[in-house]
Amino acid sequence: MNTLPYLIKRNVKLYFKDKGMFFSSLITPAILLVLYITFLGKTYKETFTSNLPDAFTIDESLINGLVASQLISSILAVSCVTVAFCSNFLMVQDKANGTVKDLRISPVKPSLLSIGYYISTLASTLLICLAATVICLIYVAAVGWYMTVTDVLLLLFDVFLLALFGTALSSLINFFLSTQGQISAVGTIISAGYGFLCGAYMPISSFSSGLQKVLSFFPGTYGTSLIRNHSMQGVLNEINNSGVPAEIIEKIKDSLDCNLYFFKNQVDIPVMYTILGVTVAALLVIYILLNLKKT
Amino acid sequence: MNSIIQIDNLSKSFGEVKAVQNLSFRVKKGELFAFLGINGAGKSTTINIMCGQLSKDSGNIQIDGHNLDENISLIKSELGVVFQSSALDSALSVYDNLQSRAALYGIVGAEFKERLSELADLLDFNGLLKRPVGKLSGGQRRRIDIARALFHKPKILILDEPTTGLDPQTRKTIWSVIAALRKSENMTVFLTTHYMEEAAEADWVVIIDSGKISAEGTPLELKNTYTGDYITLYGTDEDTVRKLGTQYEKIKDAYRLFVPNTEAATKLIVKHPEIFRDYEITKGKMDDVFLAVTGKTLLGGAEK
Repeated sequence: MNTLPYLIKRNVKLYFKDKGMFFSSLITPAILLVLYITFLGKTYKETFTSNLPDAFTIDESLINGLVASQLISSILAVSCVTVAFCSNFLMVQDKANGTVKDLRISPVKPSLLSIGYYISTLASTLLICLAATVICLIYVAAVGWYMTVTDVLLLLFDVFLLALFGTALSSLINFFLSTQGQISAVGTIISAGYGFLCGAYMPISSFSSGLQKVLSFFPGTYGTSLIRNHSMQGVLNEINNSGVPAEIIEKIKDSLDCNLYFFKNQVDIPVMYTILGVTVAALLVIYILLNLKKT
Repeated sequence: MNSIIQIDNLSKSFGEVKAVQNLSFRVKKGELFAFLGINGAGKSTTINIMCGQLSKDSGNIQIDGHNLDENISLIKSELGVVFQSSALDSALSVYDNLQSRAALYGIVGAEFKERLSELADLLDFNGLLKRPVGKLSGGQRRRIDIARALFHKPKILILDEPTTGLDPQTRKTIWSVIAALRKSENMTVFLTTHYMEEAAEADWVVIIDSGKISAEGTPLELKNTYTGDYITLYGTDEDTVRKLGTQYEKIKDAYRLFVPNTEAATKLIVKHPEIFRDYEITKGKMDDVFLAVTGKTLLGGAEK
């Protein structure tokens, strides 16, 4: 076990030294930020206020807090997966440039090498995503803070869980890749597509019912919903306290994907955690089995 | 001497392409073994199988008494490999590269630092430790590749075209280090090269062509079997040379005569002492052996 810490150190160092890999992992969160700043934030704000019955007036800071919470939940939900994918590209790059030969001529088992890639990817992803979480929380504090300590702790746990999911998913997919072209293709697909798949760019509730059903099979959507719930819970409670009825709050939660439905059945938060946890475990088991088979 | 590498009836195909066909040879402990062949002859396939990077179709490989199929981890710990192209991480420093590679063999902490110091002195790279590998010159990088391969004190050092593209001074340095290691640690060196003068220094040479052994022996045996001797004759004219009845060619200021062997050369000289007043006898070169055996020549990596 002397070997593993050095493998992790190597992988993490390579990720942060490779500017291409590092910056490409930040592209999706950057796109989201630009989208929100330029028009999405304003659109959501207008949509939200226009849908409220005329009888209710909500404080501006509450609306700002809600939109900010939506922004940060989208950024964090996407980052945990895209950063994991980009960080884990090292596994493929080692195959593409022949470095893996140098690692495999040693007596170290391929399964240990794969665990090294997994842990280092998780470490890099967590490092970036936790830093992003701190920045996001500072932004929310500046715009309108309504989160409790429990919300923050649960949000951090959600980020950790989603980073585990992103790392496990990327490990499994990258296992089958071996060329630079494949890295680029997967990178593009993930960067462009994951935001839609998980409901970060547009709420899943705004998609057609057929597409909503398809996306309900994708575990990442539950990760987004968990983050949305824990970042918006406080501000929604405050809106509720300001006189907006619970039924309207539930509709807002539906529209923002805080409530997710699997074939019309609402998925509770503990079930969301179970789905994500079981998915991570299943992906990891398959990844480890594939690597054991290689030996 | 005992065989440290024993390969019997090794075969490997990639689809219709038979990369290695029923290959058998021995490498003795402590010897410099040269494995020659043009690109695609099957050298790299054989090495990759020996290192556990590639599965074989059939055959048996024993390395230091261990069967490759049963003890691959043990065998891997006894092999040091210098690849044709450097496989180190360009973005990381020499120190970080060697630290991560040493850890693959469980060499960490004080043990790592001690071995690093030994190798840095031996290969003269103390001043390069903090520099990224990607910023090193070809010769400097090669020295680090060799240090990486030697870190765990392997019994067998596999050098896959280690000096291709290097300047003569760096080649000389590398070979002097390898010679010193062979002497001090009785290390076996398994070499593939396109430089025939390097192969001429080997204890045993195997030439493969299309996955099969075409010839093997000591350089002297191969030269005696596959090439003749040359007599370079100075201070005479072409009419006189023609009278000798031997195949010849005109070179600058002299004529080069081709004779089957040294005995024939001696007979010719004794028979014509009036002609052979200024001359020299040389044996054929490994390039000639390679050409005679395969019908192809090797020039620094290119087949002709």
